[in-house]
Amino acid sequence: MRLSDREQDGVVILQPKGKIMGGPDATLLHDKLYEYIDQGKKNVVVDLAGVDWMNSTGLGILISGFTTLRNNDGILKLANVTDKIQSLLTITKLVSVFEAHDSIEEAIASFND
Amino acid sequence: MSFELLETIAYLLTGGFLVFLAITITRDNFTNRVNRVTGGLLLFAGLAPISIAVGYLLTQGVSETTPFEQTTLYSFHLTWELFFPTLVVFALLFPFNRLKGLGNTRWIYLLLAPQLIHLFLELTFGELNILVTNLENRVTEGGLSGIFLTPLSYIATRLIVLLGIVKTYSVNIFGVINLTYVMISVYLLETGRKLQTNPRLQAQTNVVLWGLRLALGIFVISQLTLHFDYIKLPEKWLTALRLTALLIGGGAFAFGIIRRQFLDIRLVFRQSLIYTFTSILLVGTYIFLAMQSAKFLVPFFGARAETISYLFIVFILLLFPSISNWIDTIIRSMFMRTRTDYRNIIERFSREAISMFEPAKLRQTIDEALKTSLLVDNVYFVLYDDSVGEYAILQSDDYSKRTVISRDDMLLRGINLLDKPTSYSSLNDYQEDSQLAAILNERSIKLILPLKDANHLIGFLALTGKAAGYRYTPEDYNLLAVLSNQMVIALTNARLYADSLEKIRLQEEISMARQIQLDLLPDKPPDIPNTMICAESTPSRTVGGDFYDFIPVNRKERMGIVIADASGKGMPAALLIAQIQAILHSEVNNGNPISVVMKNMNQQIYRATSSEKYVTLFYGEYDHVSRDFHYSNAGHNYPMLVRECGEVEFLIEGGPIIGALPGIEYQSATVRLNDNDVLFLFTDGLSEAMDKDDVEYGEPRIRDFIVERRGMDPEVIMSELVRDVRQFDPTHPPQDDTTMVAIKIRNGKIDSHESRL
Repeated sequence: MRLSDREQDGVVILQPKGKIMGGPDATLLHDKLYEYIDQGKKNVVVDLAGVDWMNSTGLGILISGFTTLRNNDGILKLANVTDKIQSLLTITKLVSVFEAHDSIEEAIASFND
Repeated sequence: MSFELLETIAYLLTGGFLVFLAITITRDNFTNRVNRVTGGLLLFAGLAPISIAVGYLLTQGVSETTPFEQTTLYSFHLTWELFFPTLVVFALLFPFNRLKGLGNTRWIYLLLAPQLIHLFLELTFGELNILVTNLENRVTEGGLSGIFLTPLSYIATRLIVLLGIVKTYSVNIFGVINLTYVMISVYLLETGRKLQTNPRLQAQTNVVLWGLRLALGIFVISQLTLHFDYIKLPEKWLTALRLTALLIGGGAFAFGIIRRQFLDIRLVFRQSLIYTFTSILLVGTYIFLAMQSAKFLVPFFGARAETISYLFIVFILLLFPSISNWIDTIIRSMFMRTRTDYRNIIERFSREAISMFEPAKLRQTIDEALKTSLLVDNVYFVLYDDSVGEYAILQSDDYSKRTVISRDDMLLRGINLLDKPTSYSSLNDYQEDSQLAAILNERSIKLILPLKDANHLIGFLALTGKAAGYRYTPEDYNLLAVLSNQMVIALTNARLYADSLEKIRLQEEISMARQIQLDLLPDKPPDIPNTMICAESTPSRTVGGDFYDFIPVNRKERMGIVIADASGKGMPAALLIAQIQAILHSEVNNGNPISVVMKNMNQQIYRATSSEKYVTLFYGEYDHVSRDFHYSNAGHNYPMLVRECGEVEFLIEGGPIIGALPGIEYQSATVRLNDNDVLFLFTDGLSEAMDKDDVEYGEPRIRDFIVERRGMDPEVIMSELVRDVRQFDPTHPPQDDTTMVAIKIRNGKIDSHESRL
C-alpha cells in the first residue's frame, strides 16, 4: 500500500493505493492519522478509489483508524468505496458504522451539514 | 681425522648455531628491542668459537710457522667480550623494560667502552708502540719539530706505558670487568624475576638465569683448571666444557626470548640447526678453497697473501645476506611448507574457535589466546546483544559486572568508524563525555580491536598494554587484524548456533500450540437425533485463526454451533480464537440469550484487544425437538441454508464483527429447519480461494455446488467441495485458514429409532 495525503477545505484526505494488507501498512496509516490529530485536524476522509483489495488485517487497520479518530473527537468517513470493499463492509455489518460517500466532494460537504 | 680438525668443527657448529639463532630471533621482529639485544648477545657468544675455528683453519694454510695466537685475526676473537655489556642491556630490558621513561638511553652504549678498548689495544698495541718509538726518535733528533713534539712524546710515552701495563694484565683487568658485568646482569635478572607477576615471564626469567649461571659455572671451571696444575684437564675436555657452556647459555637466552614472544620454539631451533649445518658446509667449502688459493697465492703475493685472504672473507660476508636468504627460501620450501609462527597461532586459534559454540567459552578462548600469544595483561569484551539490541561490556575475569553502553556514546561511535586494530590514544577526540571512555581510561586501555561483520560492528575488544610494559609492534597489529576476522566468524557462528537452538525451541512451542488448538476443536460432531453433522478446519499455518465448535447448552434439546475467523493469521489469531472460545463457553453456560451472549463477548474482546484485532463469528443454537435454529451473525460470511427444493436462504441477522467497536447491540433470528435441508457454514478461506488469474472461487460457486448436491450426505458434499476448491486453487498449503461445518436434517420417520440413542 502507498499512502498519499492532502487537505481540502479543512478536511484531511487520505488516499491509500494498492492492497491494504497489514504489516507496515498499519503503522503507516496510524502514524499519518496521529500526525493530523496532533495538529488538531480530525475530519478525515479515506478515499478508497485506488484500493483493489483489503484482507481481514486491512479492514482491522481501517477500523483502528476509525476508533482512533473517534476517541480523539474526530470522524473518519469513506469515499469511493469499491464494490468489493462495499460487500466486505456489508458482510461485516460495518456499513452502519462507517459513513460512506460516493465522492470526495460529497464526503467533504457532509462535514458541513 | 686429527683432534684439531674435530675441535674446529665443533667450534664452528656451536658458533654457527648461536649466530643463526641470533639471526632468526632478530629477523622475527626487528622492531622489538629485546629481539635485537638477544640477537646481539647470541651473535657475540657465537663469534668467539667461530673466530677461533676460522682462524685455525686459515693459519693452517698460510703461515704454519707463526702461532695462531700471534696473528691479527686472533685478536678479533675478543669481539666476543661484547657479549658482557650486551648481557647487561638484556638484563635491563628483560623481563621488563627498566629503561622505559628514562628518555634518551644512548648512554647504554658507554657500557661497550671497556671491551672496545680491550679490542683496540689488542689490535693496535704493536703499531702504537712503533709509532711512539718513532716519535721518541724524532724528539731525540731535536730541531723545531723536536721542541714541538716533546710534550706530546712525553704524554704518548706515559700513555703507552700505561697501556702496556693494562695489556700485560689485560686478562685479569678485563676478566674482572666482564665478571662485574655478569654480576650486575644476574642481579638485575634476579630482581626482575621477583618483580614480575606474570607467571610465564617469571618462568622464562628463571630459565635465562639458570642457563646463565650454569654456563658461567662451567666456563669458570674450565678456566680455573688452566691455573692449577694438579687438576689439569686434557685439552679435549676443556673444549667440550667451553662449548657446553656456550650452548647452555645461548640456548637459555634463546629459549627465554622465544617463549616470551610467540614463536614456535621447535621451529626456530630446527631452522637454526638446519642453517648451521648448511652454512658450515658452505663455509667449509669456502675455507678449503681459500686455503688452496692462499697456498697458490703465496708465491705471487708473499706476505700479503694473508691480507688477500681476509679480503675474501669480507667478500664472502658481503655475499652472506643474499646466500642466507637463498638458503632460507629453500629450507622453508623443503621443510616448513606452511608453518610460520604467526600462522601457527592463527591456525591453532581457528581450530579451537571453530568448534566452539558456547559464547562464554569462546570468549575464554579468545582471552587466553591473546594473553598467551601477545602477553596482553587484560582483555575486555564489548559485544552487541541481538536479543536486547544493545552494546555491553561483558563480565569476565577482568571485569566484574556487565555494563550496558549507551548507543549514543561518543567513543562507541568513534569505534564504529574503525575497521582495523587501532591504538586507544588515537581515539582521543571521542573520549569526552563518554561513559565508555571513563571506564576504559580507568583500566589504561592501549588498543581497540573492532569486530566487524560486513559493516556491522558486532563489538570490540579493549586490550591493556602487554605484560611488562612492552609496546604493540606492527606485527602484533597485523596478527590482531587477522585474529579479529576469525573472532568475528567464530562469534557469529556461536550466535547463529544459539539462534537456531532458539528457533527449534520456538518450533516446538508452535507445535505444542497446534496440539492445544487441535485439542480445543471437538473430536467429533455430537450425536443429534435426525441430524448429520460434519466439520473440518485446516489452518494455513501451523496454527490458525479459524475455529468451529459444538457447545452444550443448558436446555438439553439445544446444541450450540459456532464458526469464527479471527483477523490476521498464525499465533496472534490463534490466541484471539482461544480467548473467544473461552468467553463463548462461559457466556453460553450462564444461560444468556444469544443476543446477550454476542454483546458480552464483543464487549470483553473489545476491552482485551486493540480495535484492529477482531473476530467474525456466527453462533447458532439448534433445537432438535422444535427444529428451530436460533442464531446471530457477527460480521461473518453468511451461512447458507439450502432447502430441499433448492432454494437458498442466507443467515444474515446479527451485528458487526466482534471486538472492534464498543457497546454494540446484536440481533438474533430464528429459522425452522426441515427434512433434507442442508445448513452450510464456512470461513472466507474457502470462498476467497483464488486461481492463478486471481479469480476468486466465490460464494455463488459454493452456493451452486451445494444446491446441486443437496441430496447427498454432508460428508460427501464437503469432501467434493474441498476437492473442487483445491482443483481451482492448487496452492498448498492453502493461503488462508479454511473451516466448514455442514449440517443436514434427515427424514424424521427413518431416524425415529436412532433419536432415542
